[in-house]
Amino acid sequence: MSAPPLPAVQVTGLRKSFRVAGGPVAGGSTVEAVRGIDLAVAAGEIFGLLGPNGAGKTTTLRILTTLLPADAGDARVAGEDVRRAPGLVRRRIGYVGQLGGADKEATGRENLMLAGRLYGLSAADARRRCAELAEVFDLGELADRAVRTYSGGQRRRLEVALGIMHRPRVLFLDEPTTGLDPQNRANLWEQLRRLRDGGTTIFLTTHYLDEADQLSDRVAIVDHGRVIALGRPEELKRRYSADSITVIPEAGPDVLDAVARELADVPFIAAAVVEQGAIRLTATDATRALAAVFGALAARGVPTRAAAVARPTLDDVFLRETGRSLRDGGSPAGGADAGPTGAGVEEAAA
Amino acid sequence: MTALAPFTLQTGLFFRRKLLETLRQPVWIITGLTTPVLYLALFAPLLRALAGGPAFPPGHVLDVFVPGIMVLIAFGAGMGAGWPVIWELDSGVIERLRVTPASRLALLLGTVLRDVVMFAVPGAVVIAVGAAFGYHVHWGGLALLFPLLALLTAACSATSSALGLNLRQIGSLAAVVTGAQLPLTLLAGILLPLSLGPAWLRALGHVNPLYYAVQAARSLAAGTVAAASVGVGFGVMAAVAALAIWWGTRAYQRAMA
Repeated sequence: MSAPPLPAVQVTGLRKSFRVAGGPVAGGSTVEAVRGIDLAVAAGEIFGLLGPNGAGKTTTLRILTTLLPADAGDARVAGEDVRRAPGLVRRRIGYVGQLGGADKEATGRENLMLAGRLYGLSAADARRRCAELAEVFDLGELADRAVRTYSGGQRRRLEVALGIMHRPRVLFLDEPTTGLDPQNRANLWEQLRRLRDGGTTIFLTTHYLDEADQLSDRVAIVDHGRVIALGRPEELKRRYSADSITVIPEAGPDVLDAVARELADVPFIAAAVVEQGAIRLTATDATRALAAVFGALAARGVPTRAAAVARPTLDDVFLRETGRSLRDGGSPAGGADAGPTGAGVEEAAA
Repeated sequence: MTALAPFTLQTGLFFRRKLLETLRQPVWIITGLTTPVLYLALFAPLLRALAGGPAFPPGHVLDVFVPGIMVLIAFGAGMGAGWPVIWELDSGVIERLRVTPASRLALLLGTVLRDVVMFAVPGAVVIAVGAAFGYHVHWGGLALLFPLLALLTAACSATSSALGLNLRQIGSLAAVVTGAQLPLTLLAGILLPLSLGPAWLRALGHVNPLYYAVQAARSLAAGTVAAASVGVGFGVMAAVAALAIWWGTRAYQRAMA
C-alpha cells in the first residue's frame, strides 16, 4: 500500500461576495455567495456539490477553476494553489461550463483539435485523441458537422469530450445534465463513471437529488454559501433519516400486533406499528429489516400481499438541516427535478 | 502530457480559428471586397468636382482619396471584432478558453491578425482598382502604408474586443462604436481633407489619433517616405495599438462573474 494520495481538491474557509448594482439601497448591495466553505475531494472520486439555485455552487466551481478570485480562504486543485499558480492548475484541470462553450460554427473535430493543441498535443496526437473520444462519446459521423447542427445531447457529449481532450487530472462540470432527456442523462452518467474508473477526479455541481445521490461517491450539500452536510450519500441519508417499510400481510389484527411487537425488538428496527392492516417499520437497514419481517410472517405461515420500502433521500437531509425542501426551492423548472429514489413496491406472494 | 503549446503556435491556432470563422461567412467577404470598390466608383466622381478648388491638395483626385479609403478599410476591418466576442461570451466559448492555460494575449492576437488580413486583402484590391482609374502607385510608399494601417487595424480590433468584453451587450457595443465612428473619421479628414474646414475643426483633428494615420497615409500614398508626418503617424499608431492590445489582453484576463 502506498501513502494515501493528496486530495485532488482541498478548500478551506473559502469566501466570495459580489456587489450587486441597483439593490434596495442606491449604490447597490453586497451578496455573500460563498461564506466559508471547507471541503476535500479525494483523487479518483466523483464529488457532487448539491444545493438549490443561489446556494453558491457555481461561484465555488468558478473559484476552483481559476475563473474567479476568492475574497478569502485557500483552494488547492491538483496539488496547486489556484491563487498563486493558476497557470499550473489550468494545465491539470478540465472544465465543462453550464453554457458548454463549444464553438457552434466550427465542426466538432475543429473544436477538439484546437483544445488538444492548445494543451500542447502535437497535431498527430491530437488527431489520435480526437478519434478516440469520437468513438467513446459516439460522435463518429458528427465530428465533421458544424456544432450548430447537433442535438442537445450530442452537444453535451462533445463538450465533455472537449473538457477531457488533454486527460486532465480533475474534471469540473457545472450542472452537466441540465436540459438533457433521461436517456442522454443516463448515458452521461455512465461516461463520467468510466472516467472516474480510469482515474480522473470528477467535481460536479447539481441541483438534482438523484444525480448527487446515485452518481456521486461523496456529496457536499450547500445552502446560502455554506456546506450543511458532507459525506457519502448513503451515510448522510442514514445519519439524518431512516428507511421506512410497509408490509401488508394477509392476516388479522391480532397476528399483525404480535408480529409488530416481535419486530420492534429487532436491533436495526427502530419502530414497528400497525396501521390499517399494514405493518409500518422504521429501520436503519431496510434489507435486513425486510428479511426479519418475512421471517416473522413465514414462521406464522402468513402470506404477504405487498411490501414497499421508502428510502430516505438527500432531500430529507436538506429538510432536516434547513427546514426547507430542495424540491420546492431548488429548481424554478419544478417538475423536472429529481425523481424519488427507489420507492419500489414488489408483489411478494408467499 | 501537458507541455503547453508555445505562444506563437497558440496565436497561430487562434488566428486560424478566426480566419475559418470569417471564411464561413461569405457575405462578409463579398461586402468586404465590394464596399471599397463602391466607394471608388460612387464617391470619387463627387470629389472630382472639388479637385483643383481652393484648399484642396494638388494632384489627381484619387491620390487624395485612395489613402482615405485605405484608412477607412483599416478602421472598419478592426472595429467589427467586438461583436463575435459578445456571442462567444454568451455561448461560453470565452469562459471555456479562459480555463485553458492558453495565453490571453494569443487569444486577442488571433482576432487582431485575422482583422489585419481582412484589411490587407480589400486594401490591395482598392490599390489595384484605383491604379486602373488614375491613382499613381508609389511602391516604396505602399510598402510602408500597409504596415502603418495594419497597426491601425490592430488598435481598432483590440479596442473593439476590449469594449465587447467590458460592455457584454450587443446594443451597448453598437452604440459606442457607431457613436465614436463619426467624430473619429470626420475629424481625421478621411474622406474630405480637413484643410477644407475652419481652424477650430482642424485644431480638433489634432487630438484624434486617426488624424495622424491619415496624414502619414497621404504622404506615403504620394510616395513621400521621408516626411515628418510618416514618423509621427507610425509613432502614434504604434502607441495606440500597444495601448489597445494591453487593454484587450487585460479584458480577457479579468474575472467575469
